[in-house]
Amino acid sequence: MNVNRAAAAVAALSLLAACGGGTLGSSEFEDAGKQDVSADGDKLSLWIMEGTNPDAKPFFAELSKAFEEETGATLDVQFVPWADAHNKFVNAIAGGTTPDVAEVGTTWTPEFADAGALMDLSGPVEEAGLGEELVPGLVEAGTVDEALYGMPWYAGVRSVVYRTDVFEKAGVEPPTTWDELVTVGEQLKQSNPDMIPFPVPGDSEYGVYPFIWGNGGEIAVQDGDSWTSQIDAPESQEGIEFYTDLALEHGLSTPAATTWDEADLSDNFAKGDVAMMISGSWTPGALLEANPDLEGKIGAFPIPGKDGGLSPSFLGGSHLGVFQDAENPDLAWALVELMATGEFAASWGEQSGFFPGTETLLEEVQKQDDPVVAPFAAQMVDGGASLPVTPLYGAVQGKKTVSAMLQSILSEDASVEEAAGQAAQEMDAIFAKGS
Amino acid sequence: MSSTITSVSSTDEGSRATGARRLTGGGPRRRRGLTPRWLPWALFAPALFVLGGLLIYPLYRVVVLSLQDFGLRELVTGETTWVGLDNFRELLSDPLLWKVALPNTVGFAAVNVFLTVALGTLVALLLARVGSWTRGVLTSAIMVAWAMPAVSGTYVWVLLFDPRSGMVMRLLSSLGLVDPETTNWFTERLPFYAIATLNVVHHGFPFVAVTVLAALMTVPREILEAAEIDGAGAWNRFWYIVVPLLKPVFAVVTILSTIWDFKVFTQIYLMPGGSGTNREVLNLGTWSYITAISQNRYGLGAAIAVLLTVLLLVITSVYLRTLFRQQEL
Repeated sequence: MNVNRAAAAVAALSLLAACGGGTLGSSEFEDAGKQDVSADGDKLSLWIMEGTNPDAKPFFAELSKAFEEETGATLDVQFVPWADAHNKFVNAIAGGTTPDVAEVGTTWTPEFADAGALMDLSGPVEEAGLGEELVPGLVEAGTVDEALYGMPWYAGVRSVVYRTDVFEKAGVEPPTTWDELVTVGEQLKQSNPDMIPFPVPGDSEYGVYPFIWGNGGEIAVQDGDSWTSQIDAPESQEGIEFYTDLALEHGLSTPAATTWDEADLSDNFAKGDVAMMISGSWTPGALLEANPDLEGKIGAFPIPGKDGGLSPSFLGGSHLGVFQDAENPDLAWALVELMATGEFAASWGEQSGFFPGTETLLEEVQKQDDPVVAPFAAQMVDGGASLPVTPLYGAVQGKKTVSAMLQSILSEDASVEEAAGQAAQEMDAIFAKGS
Repeated sequence: MSSTITSVSSTDEGSRATGARRLTGGGPRRRRGLTPRWLPWALFAPALFVLGGLLIYPLYRVVVLSLQDFGLRELVTGETTWVGLDNFRELLSDPLLWKVALPNTVGFAAVNVFLTVALGTLVALLLARVGSWTRGVLTSAIMVAWAMPAVSGTYVWVLLFDPRSGMVMRLLSSLGLVDPETTNWFTERLPFYAIATLNVVHHGFPFVAVTVLAALMTVPREILEAAEIDGAGAWNRFWYIVVPLLKPVFAVVTILSTIWDFKVFTQIYLMPGGSGTNREVLNLGTWSYITAISQNRYGLGAAIAVLLTVLLLVITSVYLRTLFRQQEL
């Protein structure tokens, strides 16, 4: 009889197991972009990444007011830390608790779109006449199978942030070629022995990409439907070697940096230990907040090209995405349009230190000619590049393939050739599995 | 008197006979005093239900997941893609598992369990000896170490060993023992795991200490005094009296420590390089996370979890066998 009871229990549990897996509802845009939406009393949920704008609350208070005036619906804003966001999104997709609208990092948009969690925004964008307005780099990053799943909101780019006072003291100018970078670094080391001239962080893949691209190499190339890694090609290897030699051969870095990520890098810059670092257009504001003594001492210059010009740098940013579970997609689009175009987009760009995702606003920013902003804008316009636009690259980043390669070279566990070969193998394995 | 005794015994015999008849007989009889067959199950049912929901169902689900190729798409659309044992094949043929993850996990767990139990026992012996006020203060102090969340504790240890500004580096470089220009302990496997060991043992010994202390209190003082009179030293007293009496407690504490130290994830993941950039320091927990969860391959992650569970079951059964083989009933 015990066996019967056990069997009954297992049968009951299997029934429970059969109702597994979540399904997101599918919604459609009806009047999005064509006319004003009115939805009195409705509530729209919005997720925003924390920290982009050091003081985001007043901005969202104003946005909520304007949104309520326009549509009658209220806004429920939730701030999510970047580090947890990917998991939070995945959990929400699994549990059917996604927000109506959310800020989605550009490298995640293809992933979530491929999973069927985001709505196709191509229709509303066209209806609203925004087709030509949007910054191409951001549009490219959000397009899967010729459909746009993320509305460009803001973009950021990495260049070199440096201490203008330290440079003055050492009597050096921002370098414009790779050789000059080495010379400047060595001169800085002589005049300021306890500052790190140019740390090479092992846990930051975005630092090595400019040197791969700057030498004419590629990370991966698409051939029809499949991708192949090019990170072990001779040009890519040369670029990686130059970057890591800054630490290993020229001594411009420190052993601690082998395990640093970008947060550690800016922490040390804010502490005053670093002379130059590859960092994003959004960091000067955060640096000043962390250490107000740095006021007036921070400058930026585009990442030097090998023999002049500039090296391409990763153009990242965020899209605004509408999730499939949204109850009122037209209302969601109204919010997206309000945030991504016009005065709210401009003021978000100013407050957060990022560049807006529409061409007209971007041009206005460039006209301002702010010494800290202009170099980043130049980098963005002349040297903005994107990573392989495929959800599979998200898996490569999740596995930290490039960072592991850097760290093994910096801790002298592997040569550039071995490490790059290993990284290429890993990438190819991931690309093969996905297709 | 004898008649009452007989009558009592005859009633017992009578009910025992009825009980025996009930157990061996067929159809339903009137119950008379002894518990009905279904009563234990009925009383157990609520607990079984909760246990089933919280333990057995997730276990079943993980085993099912490990036989599927489950990614974001399956999560969203609800469809299932069965791949049989492919996940396990992929897992067991990955050289990283055999060369890095398993050795790191097993070695780390072995060292940590030994240190945790040894240190905990020593502290328990100390606590058993001191006065009750001192014992209260000391116990509170070690409980703070246990209560500290793993995340906060790990960050403190990372800060202590920071290669540029950590307290340990400053101390050692001022003594001239270490050169700060060339040293970063987090990049090599052995120093990395040494720091992790400090962290985990510091976090885990209070539990052992408190549990063994409670057990030590139950050891009759007369036996220890008698042994002392007979000339047994402290070492002998411990090994020949205390340990055999406390064997079940040591078994429990060791098994729990083994399970916890095998599953260590947070303390490794949060250390510099532990989140996947340093492939040499991966253990089973972090490797499964970066291989499966970070890449949205939940089927593979489930396969790793199944592997870990099976491994722990084997180890636990070996423990129990060895520990209780000598026990006479």
